[in-house]
Amino acid sequence: MSVYVLGVATHPASLSESRLRLEEMAYHTARAALDAAGVTRRQLDSLTLGACDELDGRPISSMLMSAPAGGYGTDEIKVTDSGASALCLAYARFLAGESQLGLVMSWCKSSKTDVETVMRLRGDPFYTRPLGIGAAIGDALFAQAIGEEFGVTENEATRRVVNAYARAARNPRGMAHPVPTAESVNAASFDALPLRSAQRAPLTDGAVALVLASDVFLNANPYCTPLAHVAGAGWASDSYRLDSARLRSMSSARTAWRTALQQAGLQSAADLDAVELESQTGYHEAAYVRAFGIEREEALSPSGGAFAQNPIFCTGLINAAEAVLQVAGQAGAVQRPNVRRAAAHGCHGYAQQGNVVIVFERAGGVQ
Amino acid sequence: MNETVAVLGTFQTEFKTHHPEHTFAEQAQLAAVGALQDAGMTPDDIDAIVFSLAPTYFMGVADADRWSIDYIFGAGKPMLRVHTGGATGGSAVQAGYNLVRSGLYRSVLIVGAERIAETPDAQNVLNLIFDVFYERDMPLSTNTTVGLWATRYLDRYGLTQEDMARVVVRARRNALKNPHAHLKGNVTVEDVMASRMISYPLKLFDICPRSSGSAAMIVGNMAMAKRFRSRPAFINGVASRTTTYWIGDRMTPSTDADFIDFDLAEAAARECYRIAGITDPLKQIQVTEFYDPYSIMTPVQLERLGFCASGMALRLERDGYWNVEDGAVAVNPSGGTLCTNPIAVTGLVRAIDAADQVMGKAGAMQVSNVRNALSSAVGGIAQFFNCTVFGAEPRSH
Repeated sequence: MSVYVLGVATHPASLSESRLRLEEMAYHTARAALDAAGVTRRQLDSLTLGACDELDGRPISSMLMSAPAGGYGTDEIKVTDSGASALCLAYARFLAGESQLGLVMSWCKSSKTDVETVMRLRGDPFYTRPLGIGAAIGDALFAQAIGEEFGVTENEATRRVVNAYARAARNPRGMAHPVPTAESVNAASFDALPLRSAQRAPLTDGAVALVLASDVFLNANPYCTPLAHVAGAGWASDSYRLDSARLRSMSSARTAWRTALQQAGLQSAADLDAVELESQTGYHEAAYVRAFGIEREEALSPSGGAFAQNPIFCTGLINAAEAVLQVAGQAGAVQRPNVRRAAAHGCHGYAQQGNVVIVFERAGGVQ
Repeated sequence: MNETVAVLGTFQTEFKTHHPEHTFAEQAQLAAVGALQDAGMTPDDIDAIVFSLAPTYFMGVADADRWSIDYIFGAGKPMLRVHTGGATGGSAVQAGYNLVRSGLYRSVLIVGAERIAETPDAQNVLNLIFDVFYERDMPLSTNTTVGLWATRYLDRYGLTQEDMARVVVRARRNALKNPHAHLKGNVTVEDVMASRMISYPLKLFDICPRSSGSAAMIVGNMAMAKRFRSRPAFINGVASRTTTYWIGDRMTPSTDADFIDFDLAEAAARECYRIAGITDPLKQIQVTEFYDPYSIMTPVQLERLGFCASGMALRLERDGYWNVEDGAVAVNPSGGTLCTNPIAVTGLVRAIDAADQVMGKAGAMQVSNVRNALSSAVGGIAQFFNCTVFGAEPRSH
């Protein structure tokens, strides 16, 4: 069984989507992905959602959201780790033969949510929550740890932020935030040491959908042209502890990376022409390029990643959509030349407790 | 050729209102350790984990699965948390099945825990599942909504509250043999009728308890089954279906998923049976473990899943058709969800109770000569339905 991406769509990036309700965002995005794939909702046999009740602001949020996302009479499962995690489960469902045509969907209306409060609620009630650790402190602890592990300096982190904004400015699907100067980034106040506010990717509202198809479906529907072949998917989670050993090891990130590349039959990052990383700060990018062995700066997050748009729960799945577009040669102004294979990365949880890597390659095979 | 998927080990704790002696993470650990011991496996034998956890609003710790990760030996391993409301446990089994069947992993631990009684009133939390603009201001909860469902069902088929009460009598009686059950006992139809009215026509005894506890199941491929289990149960079919959120849209004459008759369940079962090779459920399935948090939900599933015609399940209940000892099929030998409802893992417990029957390790609940057993899970307001067929022999598909 082979799994292909038939269509992708992302909701227009927005700091605060005030015109549409969350379910309307999901509907329009799912609709666009189906149209891009040239299929109809009635043809879908599966729906795999990545969504978070706490960020959506209601228990069992998929009750409201599944139908706008295409879930009516379909076989639906929701995962709550991240949007990219939903793609991993969907990949397994296709490999298992459970689905021939399915939609993977995720969303996050960050503007309607107090994200820091949600992150603090992740703390266990005995040890972590009384410390008030939220996203900023979690990310800062990670930045401290990898700074020591890899010798990452503030200037390097800032340089990576400026470069990411510059790439993101060309992304037609991104926010086109103004590109800051290194001086302005370094002059910003600290959110949590060593993270300055300007070193963190701004949160945005967004939604993303991918239509997956099996080779069985494609053989039966030759009018459908796939954008990319899913060559591998790896994911893993680290310990809940926030101690230095856990944070410095980046164990789950390395496992996810190694697993995805092995499945794709690749040796190293050098075999990839583009890698869309979920880097919430410049420190994160510095850590991931070292952990993954990414040496070619030009292959790094052509879309600008989280600095293009960052609907926090589904940023990793947006990376997947961007990687697919790179492989398909449809990334627009951020298109890299001759992309044969591309990887997408996502992370989730306290201080990147969980990591996901998915590898895409040209649908017709890589020559 | 996809991998055959077998159940290698199962475990569930005793279920009760509170477990003050353990934290949530420790509860999850109890289940993980129990399933590993049952399978004769060590944590290193587990390749991946699926965590079964429904709304965390009940307990107030978001993503409590992450808190549990060290306790369930998950650090460094691939893990996903599945959440489809009440159907979560069934969906978690489906996810674990897919991870093995795909060939990605040899073995998967499916584990979860519930502490629903941490919240003073789960119905207040469950009011939040309704639409904020149109429905939430009405006193809708799962109790009131299912009350409306039961009213329509009884009226449509000319049945009575006493007919519904017999489901409770059988469930509580069956649960007497279930060491894990929350509620159990010899109650009468009169007892059920005399219990406090909660939401017409549902009385207290027609409604499940709020249960806390944990459960785990380990699934693996055939190579792992040969290594760890002499008599596994095989997951021969699994399917889910979802329908519209809007209950009104399921009650119009033109609806394709009638709410009262629970057509959604039939659609899922049709696919599940196709995969599992079930053509005559009444003859081929010896045990069912339905997700039935309300007495009305047992008959509608019996009818939609092909065990009898519409409107007949409660009539046949009068004649003992669903009794464990001498019925046509043993319905919920565990007592089912009416007796135990730890929402996050209820679907998983249903699957465990069904698989245990096939594996011959259901203890005092054991039904003889079980070749196929069915479990189900229901989420939302009957919006998500999941069912699984466990068989004594693997079926290639």
